[in-house]
Amino acid sequence: MPRPEPQFITFSIDGREVQAPANEMLVDAAKRGDVEIPVFCYEPKLGAPVGACRMCLVDIEGIPKLQTGCSTPVKDGMVVHTQTKRVKDAQESVLEFLLINHPLDCPVCDKGGECPLQDVSFGWGGGKTRFIEPKRHFKKPLELSPLVAIDRERCILCYRCVRFSQELSEDYQLVLHERGAATFVGTFDGHPYVAPFSGNIIELCPVGALTSRPYRFRARPWDIENSGSVCTLCPAQCNVAFTVRDDRVLRVMARDNDEVDDGWLCDKGRFAYQSVHAEQRIVAPMVRDGGVLREVPWARAIEEATLALKKSGGRVAGLAGGATTNEEGFLLQRLVRDVHGSPHVDSSAGLPRAGLLAMGDPALQATVADLEFAHTVLVLGTEPVDDMPIVDLRLRKGVRRNRMTLAVATSRPSSLDPNAVLSVRYAPGAEAAFVAALSAAFYGGDVDTPARAAGTDAGAVAELAALLRTSGGDEAGDVVVLYGERVLAGGEAVTQPLLKLAGALGLSGRAGAGLLGIPAATNGRGLREAGVVPDAGPGLAELATAGADAAGIAASLTAGDTTVLYLMHTDPLRDQPQRATWDRALDKATHVIAHAGFMTEGIREHATVVFPAESYAEKEGTIVHPDGRLQRLRPAIGRPAGVRAAWQVLDELMRAAGVDTGLHTVHSATRQLFESVPFYAGLTVDTLGGKGLRWWEDEARAAAWPEPAKPGLLATVASSTPTYEAAATPNGALRLGTFKSIWASPEVEASPALKFLHPTQRVELSPVDAERLGIRHGEHVTVGGDGASVAAVAHLRNESPAGSAFLQSGIPEGAANVLEGPLVEIRKAQST
Amino acid sequence: MSSAILFKDIDQPGLNTLAVYRERGGYGDVLRKGLSMPREALVTELVNSGLRGRGGAGFSMGKKASFMPKGTMDKYLVCNADESEPGTFKDRELMTKSPHMLIEGMILGAYAAGATRAFIYIRGEYAQMADILDDAVAEAYDAGLLGNNILGTDHSLELAVHRGAGAYICGEETALLDSLEGKRGNPRLKPPFPANQGLYQGPTLINNVETLATIPHVLGMGADEYAKIGVENSTGTKLISVSGHVKRPGNYEIELGMSARDIIYGLCGGIEGDLEVKLWFPGGSSSPVLTKDDLDLAYDFDTLAKAGSMLGSGAIIVVDEETSVVDVCLKLAKFYKHESCGKCTPCREGTQWTVKMLERIKSGQATPMDLDIMASVQEQITGHCLCVLGDAMAMPVGSMIAKFRPEFEAYIEEARQRSDAELIASLDAPNEAPLVGSLV
Repeated sequence: MPRPEPQFITFSIDGREVQAPANEMLVDAAKRGDVEIPVFCYEPKLGAPVGACRMCLVDIEGIPKLQTGCSTPVKDGMVVHTQTKRVKDAQESVLEFLLINHPLDCPVCDKGGECPLQDVSFGWGGGKTRFIEPKRHFKKPLELSPLVAIDRERCILCYRCVRFSQELSEDYQLVLHERGAATFVGTFDGHPYVAPFSGNIIELCPVGALTSRPYRFRARPWDIENSGSVCTLCPAQCNVAFTVRDDRVLRVMARDNDEVDDGWLCDKGRFAYQSVHAEQRIVAPMVRDGGVLREVPWARAIEEATLALKKSGGRVAGLAGGATTNEEGFLLQRLVRDVHGSPHVDSSAGLPRAGLLAMGDPALQATVADLEFAHTVLVLGTEPVDDMPIVDLRLRKGVRRNRMTLAVATSRPSSLDPNAVLSVRYAPGAEAAFVAALSAAFYGGDVDTPARAAGTDAGAVAELAALLRTSGGDEAGDVVVLYGERVLAGGEAVTQPLLKLAGALGLSGRAGAGLLGIPAATNGRGLREAGVVPDAGPGLAELATAGADAAGIAASLTAGDTTVLYLMHTDPLRDQPQRATWDRALDKATHVIAHAGFMTEGIREHATVVFPAESYAEKEGTIVHPDGRLQRLRPAIGRPAGVRAAWQVLDELMRAAGVDTGLHTVHSATRQLFESVPFYAGLTVDTLGGKGLRWWEDEARAAAWPEPAKPGLLATVASSTPTYEAAATPNGALRLGTFKSIWASPEVEASPALKFLHPTQRVELSPVDAERLGIRHGEHVTVGGDGASVAAVAHLRNESPAGSAFLQSGIPEGAANVLEGPLVEIRKAQST
Repeated sequence: MSSAILFKDIDQPGLNTLAVYRERGGYGDVLRKGLSMPREALVTELVNSGLRGRGGAGFSMGKKASFMPKGTMDKYLVCNADESEPGTFKDRELMTKSPHMLIEGMILGAYAAGATRAFIYIRGEYAQMADILDDAVAEAYDAGLLGNNILGTDHSLELAVHRGAGAYICGEETALLDSLEGKRGNPRLKPPFPANQGLYQGPTLINNVETLATIPHVLGMGADEYAKIGVENSTGTKLISVSGHVKRPGNYEIELGMSARDIIYGLCGGIEGDLEVKLWFPGGSSSPVLTKDDLDLAYDFDTLAKAGSMLGSGAIIVVDEETSVVDVCLKLAKFYKHESCGKCTPCREGTQWTVKMLERIKSGQATPMDLDIMASVQEQITGHCLCVLGDAMAMPVGSMIAKFRPEFEAYIEEARQRSDAELIASLDAPNEAPLVGSLV
């Protein structure tokens, strides 16, 4: 459904003429005339109003009964009164009713001071009670989950939390038990409410009934300050407000930005702030001395790094992880390229420059909000709830409220399958063949061969093509392809048919349609735009000599052609495939300089110099959202004593090599970056503002996007024949697919509240294969191939395609990258 | 009785079977005539008959049917057989003895509404009636009266009987729809009204058993003839359920406009023990009470509304002079407190507050000031709720306090003295049971 165009009408409220969009709910329209109508159950984010709390009763001329302002759409010429005696009596009545069973324990309630019930009672209540009966009692407080505490006596039964669970996150866990005055909120089966988005109910609760367990009794609203920034724990880059007391982050709340997060947060974003103050955080520089990392003064660490870089004679490589800001990435490539003359810089973008330019073409970009209003969204090779969680909610909203048609094409079963009109499975690693088949279905080519190679059904591919082609009724409507950038690992074999598909769907230059790629790590897009890719400089400018990508760097280290590796917020043993290869490469490196917040395996074993990294709450700089929105990180708290900003360290290392960097603050780095990226021209941190800015929405900036070397790639791809590798035939073994859970991150490991969610290895397989192998659900198994093996627990999923097995990556022990694939065997674990 | 329409053959043995129902003229010319009329003509006929909904709200049945949008979307007819208003048991007799009359009415009602799917939502406690309906529906299917192309016409209708799970609120039409969809039975916000967005978001016509069962008779005698029965704005006959302290309680079919005195003293033979009437509910327990001074009122929609009450579901509950109004009030409030769904604030909190106050009156811990609070709580509920359940308690309770205040006050005084005496007695006998009840 395309976005509706608002039409303004005039209505009268308390004698004031006010303009508002037709059919806007009265509660919202009233605000345009500076009139506040109190509400409890009304929350536009939750969808259609329910009119349950009755707090918003207003008098509308021509309607005999008082009406709920939350559910009455405003009409032209409507005359509304909110200050009459009748309305005031009604408001006082409802408040009196709400408070008769409320414990009024505000002095010991976490919500006290920031409580809508307090505010509304103060503003609209009668200020007295006539209720002398015993109040309603429940056992309290109870753990609704390890993260959320529930106090049912405080609950006013607005059932926002239940609606969130039922209609937003669709985990269907929270329900209302009993009825009438005995009603209470709980999970259907009495189990803890554990779900990826459960923490949102804390913020939704208009009273102190649902409180954060990690935040319970930590501060009162008058002790704290809120500081706006952006969460950098995943590519979703939700806008957050850090609650700070005495220079410590105590809480994270959503800082609603509809274009980015729609006002929601995932539980990782909400609770992983605890890692900022975790004991295991690295807060002092370290140098390997006698085989052991020892804390040293800053000067010593800088000196060590400087010497290492100098001695390498330019045989340096830089690798940046997702948490790296644009500025850090920009300075890293300056250090490696300009100062030490090595071309090897990468941030695992996975594509050569031409591919990045073609896929990043401003005309092809879709936004997060487009997902909600498109006619059809194709989710390709990604599990949003793990890869970019908040988008999962957006897709569900699109399907539920805007009748968006959802299609899913993945190798691993998706949690969005129940919402999808069509779900197609292909073999892990067969993205190229699958996309080729889909593209062929559009252009009338041979579908069967690539479909068979992709281990999928040609009929299903044809059905998907038909669905995309007719999404707007008779014609192709607005289609958004939401793809995980992991699928691009196949290079041109994937991008070419994908671009061809985009051409067939008319995505280029079409508002509300396009491609939206989910990078493997938070700032993937910003890093490539800042030039942290092997064959392009800042602004994706062409380079004279192309460097090696991550895999190439590993090879080069192993071969001894590169001796110093500079790691920026990444541990290759965690973040890169082929763990054994990297283990050897890191072993071979003479120096590994790392900016790191946590002592992950690769850092502990191989780093020679460790610079403590700032946490995301301390950082200043910019990052780029997957849809091209430049966002600003602002420090909420000061750094721990031993921590310095990464840009400062890079600056010092460059100065030590005799280069005048011209840097004074992080803003000067931002300015340098913006000046050297043509399509950021004219931007400053101030123009980004609090909510960021999509650079490609400005025509001049979009026009500054570099032309690919072969002009008009879209035109040329149509004639070229796609090539693809066929997926491996299981032949008794199983194809290895990988996935990274939302909970697989060092921040989750380091957060006491979230620790219980940190995943251990499990292998997902279909019951068909399990039966053949004689493996039962929950059994301990060994997954192996090529001499390596990992221990896992068998997890049988009915939806899992036969012939494939899925292992987790990104976990400390026994991660999927221990195995090289593409085939693995599963055996029962030897009992010891 | 000469006026009997619905109950004309009601005691005919075997009327619940298709054969006997057909013998008595069922599923005959009337059905054929109805299905051969254009849909609009049938609706006009219903509008002209003046037939008003028999479930409680008394809205014109024809008009409601005319609100159904045209178009090819899935439309539904739902028969509200969740007869749960205390004092009401007329639909029960109708469904037990003449289920086919309801089915025939639903075939015609569905045709008028343009619906091809229909449900009978019957309260769970009516297990026997549900079985009877199931059998009747099966018979009707076998005879080609339900299913595709009924009697060779273009009209098709699928009819299913659905048993409720025992909640009063599921008789409220939107809560009924939620319950029918398999959700928790909570009322929905209106608008949208069911005629626009009802069952499964489709246009839905919801009518009471008696209303639907009347349709064949309206068609049979013609709208103009039917409109001649009864009085202006209250045409036709009405099934009434009389209960309470009368000599002959039960279901009666009356011509609307008959006087209440004729019903209570005529049809029902007066009050047990020849006592006086203290109060009576004219239309189920949700209707504000009337007193013995109101017995000469004509029993029709408008007259009762003018007297500050309502005809409701046609359930007359008579309370004699020896019964305490406080007991009646508490019994009633407890029912509504128990049945409140809890979705909206005034009903959820107001009903339980009222019960707590009435219990305090009974235990002798109240003062006359509590009556003011109780009366004001009823006012605070009325008109502020999501559905009518809150009003259904507030209006009768409010009317009892207004009309019987001296009795309430006397009761409070008496209960207080009794409780004081008990307290003193317990203090005089220290070795007796521990001091509970009056102080706690």
